[in-house]
Amino acid sequence: MKAALFALLLVAPALCHAQPAERPVRRVEVDAGGGVFGGAGLGAGDANLRGNAQAQQPFRLFTAETRLARAPSVHLRAGVALTRRLGVEGGVTRSRPEIRTSLSADAESAAPLTSVEPVDQYIFDASLVLTLDGLGAGSRLVPFVAGGGGYVRQLHEGRTLIEHGQAYHAGGGLKYWLFTRTNGFVRSAGLRGDARVQLLRGGIAFEDRPRPHAAISGSVFVGF
Amino acid sequence: MRTVALVVTAVLALAQPAHAYLHFTTTRAGQSITLKWQRTPVRWFVKDRGARGVSASDFQAAMARAFAAWEAVPTASIAFQFVGFTGAEPFDDDGASVLGFQDHPGLDRVLGATGFLIDTVTGEILESDIFFNAAMPWSTAPAGDPAAFDLESVAVHEVGHLLGLGHSALGETEPRPDGGRRVLASGSVMFPISFGRGVTHDRELQPDDLAGVSDLYPDGNFRRQTGVARGRVTRNGAGVLGAHVTAFNPETGRLVAGFTLNRDGDFHIAGLAPGPHVIRVEPLDDADPESFFSQRDPIDMSFQPTFHPRLFVAPAGGEGDRVTVAVTPK
Repeated sequence: MKAALFALLLVAPALCHAQPAERPVRRVEVDAGGGVFGGAGLGAGDANLRGNAQAQQPFRLFTAETRLARAPSVHLRAGVALTRRLGVEGGVTRSRPEIRTSLSADAESAAPLTSVEPVDQYIFDASLVLTLDGLGAGSRLVPFVAGGGGYVRQLHEGRTLIEHGQAYHAGGGLKYWLFTRTNGFVRSAGLRGDARVQLLRGGIAFEDRPRPHAAISGSVFVGF
Repeated sequence: MRTVALVVTAVLALAQPAHAYLHFTTTRAGQSITLKWQRTPVRWFVKDRGARGVSASDFQAAMARAFAAWEAVPTASIAFQFVGFTGAEPFDDDGASVLGFQDHPGLDRVLGATGFLIDTVTGEILESDIFFNAAMPWSTAPAGDPAAFDLESVAVHEVGHLLGLGHSALGETEPRPDGGRRVLASGSVMFPISFGRGVTHDRELQPDDLAGVSDLYPDGNFRRQTGVARGRVTRNGAGVLGAHVTAFNPETGRLVAGFTLNRDGDFHIAGLAPGPHVIRVEPLDDADPESFFSQRDPIDMSFQPTFHPRLFVAPAGGEGDRVTVAVTPK
């Protein structure tokens, strides 16, 4: 897949010169790329014992603060432009973040440490995409906004445990059409940059609240 | 033919060491056999005498509440039945499990103790008696009495022994001027040293106690809903015997602990909620090692408390990936 995308990138500039950015309607567009899925705190808490007094004063054995760390991601999406401005798309984003638990303030002076575990994370989602007016450059550079929701599936290492949750996102980006044409199997191709906020709920979570993750990605799209 | 043995263990000390969950075992032909009741309900009697400030009926009511605390564990299946008052003494080898006060003024640091009559072939507990030291000040006041030990709290601990649970090392202590140890805090009712006078916290079981009793008397879903951590503690590549291993669930805040129980340094901790856990290993230096192991076991206590650099993930049913924790000398 990677080899095919790079080949397309190399070929595309030769095809695009002087062609207008006609955005095809009711055509399938496939998009593949990679980026960074940002980290977020999962929660902090102490490992407490019961103190030896009738007043309920806990005794802290150590402190633990956990976050899901930033990680590279890859994604694959497919979409359809319903009108010149509005489209729908769905896809999957995979990343392998680490759960990182920072341990400190041990009552018996155990050395502070960050305990980690990698997680395979898949987000399956669907979005509404609204294309805005072009930004010049022959209308080939087009901003868009997108929002939607889906499902997050997180597999602990060794697949010992699978956790599920919901994923919501909102964001936007830019698409740059390298070429469009009205015939042939490949009707268009271009580059796309996305920035979004992913709100995860459930899954690996130590607190019952949504966790915002920033995510950025770049990709190549091909229209058929 | 049954081979029976009277085993006296499990003394709840007033100022000596204690820890997290451990099951009593006996050894036969090199095999370890877990001690447990095989016939329920477990029938219990109360000796027909009270002590200073506690009548026999107050005593019986406190014992009933202690049994109820264990009976209410949702992931365990155990039942008890109060039979009646008796003139028999605890520790009579009579086939009846008797709980009661006895005067032991010489045992000035012992609040109570539990003894067993067991079948050494099957590990079945046939009888278990508990005495409470009448030389100590006792209270059954609902909110506790700052001048006396809470009878119900100590009874919950002793009934844990009656069920087959050993001491837990989940606690912190400090030395006392008189040579004993004072509890700073504990994470288990089965910690071997009692809280101070007037403290009633041990009326309520802690996650370590729940895991221990559920592992011993699991109900239908316990094994399917919880996971097991297995692993090894090593020092310079060799196994460490007697290391205290704690699993902490950052999501629930629950602490459940176990020990390395052989010279290979192997441990296992059951009853963990599914999800990531922090694994922490420390030496058994908060209590007298004999509270947990026999004197002939060479317990290694000269290593640093250590966190494992990987999180352990407990599955829902079964065992997670095996953990090896390397500790360094002090």
